Amino acid sequence: MKWNRKDVLHIENLTREEIELIIQTAKPMKEILFRPIKKLPTFRGKSVINLFYESSTRTRSSFETAAKVLGADTSSLAVAQSSMNKGETLYDTARTLQAMNPDLVVIRHASSGAAQFLAQTLKAGVINAGDGQHEHPTQALLDLFTMREHLADLTGKKVLIVGDVLHSRVARSNVYALTKMGAEVVLVGPPTLLPPEMRILGVKMSYQLDLELPGADVVMALRLQLERQQAGLFPSLREYSQLYGLNRERLEKTGKNTLVMHPGPMNRGVEISSEVANSPNAVIEEQVTNGVAIRMALMYLLMGGNSNVVA
Amino acid sequence: MWWLKNVKIVDPESGSIQVKDVLLEGERILEIRDSLTKEEVQNKSQTGIQVIDGTGKYLFPGLIDVHTHLREPGQEEKEEIATGARAALKGGFTTILAMPNTKPVLDQRALIEFVCNQGERAGGANVYPIGAITKGQKGQELTEMVDLAAGGAKAFSDDGKEVQNAELLRLAMEYVKLTGLPLISHCEDENLARGGAMHKGVVSAKLGLRGIPSSAETVMVARDILLAEETGSKLHLAHISAKESVNLIRAAKQRGVDVTAEVNPHHLIFTDEAIAESKYNPSYKVNPPLRSAQDRQALLEGILDGTLDMLATDHAPHTWEEKMKPFAEVPFGIAGLETALAAIWTYLVQPGKLPVETLLRVWSLNPARRFKLPGGLVQSGQIADLVLFDPEQKEKIEPGWFISKAQNTPFLGQELQGFASMVWVSGQLRFQKAGEEKAWQELQ
Repeated sequence: MKWNRKDVLHIENLTREEIELIIQTAKPMKEILFRPIKKLPTFRGKSVINLFYESSTRTRSSFETAAKVLGADTSSLAVAQSSMNKGETLYDTARTLQAMNPDLVVIRHASSGAAQFLAQTLKAGVINAGDGQHEHPTQALLDLFTMREHLADLTGKKVLIVGDVLHSRVARSNVYALTKMGAEVVLVGPPTLLPPEMRILGVKMSYQLDLELPGADVVMALRLQLERQQAGLFPSLREYSQLYGLNRERLEKTGKNTLVMHPGPMNRGVEISSEVANSPNAVIEEQVTNGVAIRMALMYLLMGGNSNVVA
Repeated sequence: MWWLKNVKIVDPESGSIQVKDVLLEGERILEIRDSLTKEEVQNKSQTGIQVIDGTGKYLFPGLIDVHTHLREPGQEEKEEIATGARAALKGGFTTILAMPNTKPVLDQRALIEFVCNQGERAGGANVYPIGAITKGQKGQELTEMVDLAAGGAKAFSDDGKEVQNAELLRLAMEYVKLTGLPLISHCEDENLARGGAMHKGVVSAKLGLRGIPSSAETVMVARDILLAEETGSKLHLAHISAKESVNLIRAAKQRGVDVTAEVNPHHLIFTDEAIAESKYNPSYKVNPPLRSAQDRQALLEGILDGTLDMLATDHAPHTWEEKMKPFAEVPFGIAGLETALAAIWTYLVQPGKLPVETLLRVWSLNPARRFKLPGGLVQSGQIADLVLFDPEQKEKIEPGWFISKAQNTPFLGQELQGFASMVWVSGQLRFQKAGEEKAWQELQ
């Protein structure tokens, strides 16, 4: 199939075929990362701007690395050192960026819908690196890529997503991606973080992790924002960990060689024990590597790469 | 003297429509007859006579909007009393009530009188202020309600906020009896609503926007009804949006509680789905939020069976730059004065969901009665606050179209049908549709 999108904003409106194409494109990209000389001339003279309104180490450096391996020039605008801190609106920032005529803008923003807003204003392509509590499409794609490497076909595979589903853009994007690929997704968390309206995502919801573990092919632990405790969403880290923390004893209940995933950064001892995080079941660093490959693939498709250059 | 020929007049009770000739003399309606001859009219007037053929048009009582935010004093970049009062005329309103959440808050008589004076200078719709319930709308001490009423306040409200302290509100309900005016409740529990951007439900879950649960409104509706019942005070509930509130109000009325309630046009027209369909269009961000289809249906039923007494715009103007941001960051509010009547006509009256007589009861007669305002009926002897309404007139709502300073409306870019052609306030012609100036003739 042919790629013809200007932006990658949400998994929800990608087709299964588009997701397949992205993953197929990511495979050769990943090989490039293991070459001695990790630099291609593909996008020499192209410019990619990273616009990060929320602090981020891994996602921002992942996008930067991806762009640089492909030969593009990158500039990163972090909120602390830019006019965004002087009260400039996202609209004016978008117009300013447009005036520099970039080829691609990567945005992370605390407001749901911010990537959509930017894409409507910019002629350049936009990649959503996380908008509020809405979507984080590149995370879901790299998760999917990682699962595919280990499990091949995802049809009928049971994937548990555990934790603060309500506030998680990773969970939303992953539900859309996984269901499109035929996986069986179960969302698990306490009622305060998994309210009834989450049924709109169309997958099973459960408060009982221990009941859902048998047969799980993948368990994905979500990062617990510790400030949710002050907001009254759970009483203590202790009780949260007792109910939803992923430890070795729980992992054994799956009865399978289950993949353990985490979007990072981890709260060791809260949503995941160190023993599990360090075990061979955990593919957390692979997720990071695959993140670069997936972002290379998206940039490649969005900036109109010619497949001959990669091969 | 005005001679309005062949206008359709709606009986607000029976809904019967009769074509009549109407004479306006001074500030009042002089006579309504099946038809008049030139000689008959000339015999009644020593002065010049202006004649209009109103064939095909309605003569409505001027609409009365009990809920507007005119932003003056303090936030004139959003709206001024003058622009709001003239925008109101264009929208078919002859009287509007201005909420006190200005800067400073309308909590002293001098500020109340300032709004009255600015309203008179504007020469638009009649503007009457609503006084604050508490000083600075801080929810701590009562305002000098008697003095505010003497200065021209028509009701009291901390709108934009709710008095969270139930004991203070109970005392306000007792004290306000000195004025005979109603208290208007904003119906919002701050803790339940805090941080929300839209209705809490499946759409907010999908969009990743923090939700405002219906309970943020309903627990306060229940509380305020119980306080009004206990004190025997007059209570008006602003911008009802949730189906549970409609049930609470219906039950309260059956018990004889002196409560009235209003609904905003946008809550009768849209649901939270509009935010998803429009991809986070900030024009749909309003408080209380657009709720579910079941809520919308319950509101319409409430209007039809009389549980909800009034329509009101909650005209909430904001600047373009304030609304030109991601959804979660923009302020709440829809500017409604110029589009509300046409929107209700287009979406509800034309499709047969809302009878014309109900429209006129809930947007003119009931507000006039509840807040003791002039107008509400087209009858001889009544004040001549009137709208010649053209049900066929279509307008495309575009950025340059507004008299209001604000254009934060979801109708921007749409075509609406049903607009005022001419508007009289106290018998004085104050508005004519653009392009139809001098649509009347001098009787020779």
